[in-house]
Amino acid sequence: MTWITRNWTMSGIIKGLIVTMKHMLRVGNRPTVTIQYPYQKMKVSPRFRGLHAVDENACIGCGICEVNCPNGTIQIVKYKTRWYPQVNIGMCLFCGLCVDVCPMNAMKMTGNYELADYSRESLVYGPDRLLFNKEVKQ
Amino acid sequence: MKTDELLINMGPVHPSTHGVLRFKLTMDGEIIRNCEIVMGYLHRGTEKLGEMKTYMQFVPYTDRLDYMSAFANNYAYVKAVEELAGIEVPLRAEYIRVLTLELNRIVNHLVMIGSLLLDLGASTMIMYGFRERENALALFDMLCGARMTFNYIKPGGVREDMPEGFIPKLNEFINDMDKRIDDYEQLVSGNEIFMGRMKGIGVMSAQDAINYGMTGPSLRGHGVNYDIRKLEPYSVYPDLDFKVCVRNECDSFARYMVRIDEMRESLHILRQVVDAMPPAKPASQAKYGIAPMTGAPTAVSTYFPRIFTPPPGEVYSRIEAPKGELGFYIVSDGTIKPYRIKIRSPSFCNLTAIPKMVEGLMIPDLIAAFGTIDVVLGDVDR
Amino acid sequence: MLFLAMWTGDIMFANAYELIVFILNFIGIYEPINNIFKTLGIEYILRIIIVFAEIAVLLVFALLTIMFLTWMERKVVAMVQARYGPMVTGPRGLLQPVMDGVKLIGKEDIIPAKADRWVFTLAPFLVFIPALLIFIPLPFGESLIISDLKVGLLYLIAISALSPIAILLAGWSSNNKYSLMGAMRAVAQDISYTIPLALSAIAIVLFTGSLSTVDIVTAQNGTWFGFIPKWFIFLQPLGFILFLIASIAEMGRIPFDFQESEQELVAGFFTEYSGIKFAMFFLAEYAHLFSVSAIVVTLFLGGWSFPYLSLLPAAVVPLISLGVFLVKTYAVIFFAMWLRHTVPRVRIDQLLNLGWKIMIPLALLNLLVTGFLLTIGVFQ
Ligand code: SF4
Ligand code: SF4
Repeated sequence: MTWITRNWTMSGIIKGLIVTMKHMLRVGNRPTVTIQYPYQKMKVSPRFRGLHAVDENACIGCGICEVNCPNGTIQIVKYKTRWYPQVNIGMCLFCGLCVDVCPMNAMKMTGNYELADYSRESLVYGPDRLLFNKEVKQ
Repeated sequence: MKTDELLINMGPVHPSTHGVLRFKLTMDGEIIRNCEIVMGYLHRGTEKLGEMKTYMQFVPYTDRLDYMSAFANNYAYVKAVEELAGIEVPLRAEYIRVLTLELNRIVNHLVMIGSLLLDLGASTMIMYGFRERENALALFDMLCGARMTFNYIKPGGVREDMPEGFIPKLNEFINDMDKRIDDYEQLVSGNEIFMGRMKGIGVMSAQDAINYGMTGPSLRGHGVNYDIRKLEPYSVYPDLDFKVCVRNECDSFARYMVRIDEMRESLHILRQVVDAMPPAKPASQAKYGIAPMTGAPTAVSTYFPRIFTPPPGEVYSRIEAPKGELGFYIVSDGTIKPYRIKIRSPSFCNLTAIPKMVEGLMIPDLIAAFGTIDVVLGDVDR
Repeated sequence: MLFLAMWTGDIMFANAYELIVFILNFIGIYEPINNIFKTLGIEYILRIIIVFAEIAVLLVFALLTIMFLTWMERKVVAMVQARYGPMVTGPRGLLQPVMDGVKLIGKEDIIPAKADRWVFTLAPFLVFIPALLIFIPLPFGESLIISDLKVGLLYLIAISALSPIAILLAGWSSNNKYSLMGAMRAVAQDISYTIPLALSAIAIVLFTGSLSTVDIVTAQNGTWFGFIPKWFIFLQPLGFILFLIASIAEMGRIPFDFQESEQELVAGFFTEYSGIKFAMFFLAEYAHLFSVSAIVVTLFLGGWSFPYLSLLPAAVVPLISLGVFLVKTYAVIFFAMWLRHTVPRVRIDQLLNLGWKIMIPLALLNLLVTGFLLTIGVFQ
């Protein structure tokens, strides 16, 4: 019989209805924060850990990033007479450890997060897609 | 008339088991006679993985345990490593850690309340919760460059100092949250249907709760004043003024209210942290990408060698994660990889109390009680 | 002429059939057509054609309403939850229901291996057809009614009581435990809520002395003291609340959506349905939403009547009254949607407690007091 002792004025429900009505009319500081993704894009912070980028001039191909990557994502491959890392995005945690350990500060991470692709092969980002030239960029 | 008990497999694919959990329910009509939990569908061998990685490399994996409160996992593991190696951490780093931990607690409770209400059929609260969470995630993004899997707290400190403009944004968030929590309380806590669904449901005595190893807010809803931040203070918590939120009703509603109280308390802690934050040294304002490489000490991290070999030994360290007591047990044999890692995850221990809690109740009550336990399956199965 | 006669009033039609005949007459083509059919000796064909035209209009109206309602539901939810809702297909996502329909029709129609195939296929139709049948005695506006049945209210309650049977069939034939439990719950709920629904409707009938929906609406024409509309909600506040709660339960929406109980029983009785059959349940749900709201409006909120509506020229009254009726109905629908996304679901035993232990006694009390007050002549 506990149900009969409850508050039957339903004031709580009415209060809740008022809250949702306030949201419906956008009263006060109750904004919509939805981002309509394919049309609008979210602004990520400068620190965002997205796709890697490797400074062509700075990287010495030492392989420290390769050793320190927890997932074995990075492989050092030969590209245009020098050795550069190749990143398999499909295995990457985006943890940023490779960036931290690089002795030359050559490894960076960009704000690019739209990395979906049609095949596993195209997830392997070779030096041709990772390298950037610091002089040109700045 | 001949009646039979009905066996229902709730899960592993079911809208309200928060992932892949299976309840084997023996039902008498709508009444649950017996509830058996089958878990392990999300087992990824995280503990074993830890033994394959160096101490530093394992940090990103802890993000994936309880992905709703990844900072707490990061911190729990890092704290164990630091205790093992006896590393001192700069004060500013400790404050930043507490800041992230408490912010993470708010985010976790927002999601918990949202999904609890969603399980009860009210789909609105989770959207409000996610809206606020979005703001918090933007803060996390500013801080560490990721929104859910942070890998921010590292042995010796944190990865980077706070960027410029972080504190004003944080203050804005804190001020917003105050009013938003009032909104939630109006929308949810006073609702008669909600109270009818929560009050007196999933009752379990404090003694039983302790015996089942429940911890965290779920235990504090049973009137047990148990908070590791107070009992075994770590980081800068001893310097902060906060109270442990306890409710005595032992039912689902109490467990829910503890969460609401804790969010307010966390906001209170955040305000203090912002005020007490030690000033940054100019050198630490380095932008991402040209940050000093691992090992070099900065304003927010001490020296941590790239090839780190702690002395042989073992350590168990625990913290008060948003879901309860999160402990890491590490055995070191003096090599670069841990010999053994054992994770004491709060979700797992709290979950085991469910069968006792729901005996004789109905499926809707099971869902309500399960929601208030606040389980993340990544944490249960590890 | 006729137009003048209409302008000055006095011409009212019993139903839409007569209205159509009148309009055809007015344009001047009814007689020639009728003569053609008469010479062929098949006048009844003309009548059938007109009736079919009515049915076609009704069907189109019903489908458009349902489509609009699904869009509206999404938009209202989105507004409540501080989102945008569908925005991409069409202006502000207005074409979203069409896309949904196309998608659902394109889906594979799965019948579980151990299901009772015949019943499994029959059930969606049994749900869908009554949902359309309910529209027949609904007075959409002055003269805008398919058929003014003498037992309109009884018909409405009877038809809406059909749906639990279909739901039970659907749940049972799916051969799924969740479906079965959903169906059982739906039946328990429908039985316990049809009674207070009918009881509070009977209190209205005490006032009007007629079960015809048109009579009920015309009884609510006019005002008290010149400004309070003579709607039954003011005479029957308790009855209105009971009826509203019961009809929300009847619609099967949160807080009373036990037939689905998404978080508990996956999708309740239509867990196993997919494709076009699922679409039929879906459409029936929204048709039900509209018709039940329309019944609430008809019984308690004055139907299409509005104070001083009679002062308007009679030629535009059907249109204006249709507008009034739709505005009121959508207001009730909006309330149902608003409520749905504010409150959690009650538990099944709480629901039955509420129904049997509180609402039925209250409805009986309401009936008793109303009857008593009517007998001693308070309302005359
Ligand atoms: S990116 Fe850095 S760590 Fe990796 S190979 Fe180049 S220099 Fe070495
Ligand atoms: S971000 Fe982490 S997982 Fe990815 S390549 Fe760098 S170290 Fe490896």
